Amino acid sequence: MSTAPVEVERPSFEVGEALDRPWVTIVWNDPVNLMSYVTYVFCKLFGYSKEKATQLMLQVHHEGKAVVSNGTREQMENDVARLHAHGLWATLQKDE
Amino acid sequence: VLLSLADELVTLLGHEEEEAAGDLERMVGIGTSTETPEDPVLARLLPDAYRDDSQAAGDFRRYTENWLRSQKTEAARTVIESLGGKSVEIDEDQAQAWLTVLTDLRLAVAGRVGLETEDDYDVLDEMSSSDPRRPTWDVYLWLGYLQETLVEALL
Repeated sequence: MSTAPVEVERPSFEVGEALDRPWVTIVWNDPVNLMSYVTYVFCKLFGYSKEKATQLMLQVHHEGKAVVSNGTREQMENDVARLHAHGLWATLQKDE
Repeated sequence: VLLSLADELVTLLGHEEEEAAGDLERMVGIGTSTETPEDPVLARLLPDAYRDDSQAAGDFRRYTENWLRSQKTEAARTVIESLGGKSVEIDEDQAQAWLTVLTDLRLAVAGRVGLETEDDYDVLDEMSSSDPRRPTWDVYLWLGYLQETLVEALL
């Protein structure tokens, strides 16, 4: 393996890090949105089954938040924008 | 009631149109606002996308807030249009507009009566009929009933 001294920047490190730590979309509990509506939005936006959507909704309700999708930062920004368009309180962040 | 609420929503979302944006920015939908709205209702309708990164939240807002405002405004206009006759008949696309508008109206009304936590709900629900917030609260409950009925028809 070559040990070329000029290779200061290592973009492959960032790529590897991004793969190891994908981004996630989080939906936060709020006292306004109806449980049935939140379930409906998860089904509609992510194509989840009613069972999976209900489970995620209950997690938001009981634990205060739930990860509803993961992927690249761009994908998560898109998911967050669509959730905001439906009135849900959503944020994105790097997976912890 | 719905008509005037939906009208108010359009007004609320419509102001603060981008003043300084150039033609190109306007054409591709990039706005100038990067700050969370000061009005708590608007801040809930157009929330921050990042919790701990105000720079990223500002960038996100710049690229999506105009889109978000126009989505919500368009949905409100769809609802206003379908409220013309004596009875309301809507197809599935219109029903989805109704659901998002009912959500936005409930968020807005909740902000006005101070519903921020689930404990607030119980307090508000027990207020007396002479409380000045009572009529607004009744509207909130009625919007919720409408939405629940509509969601159940779609789920």
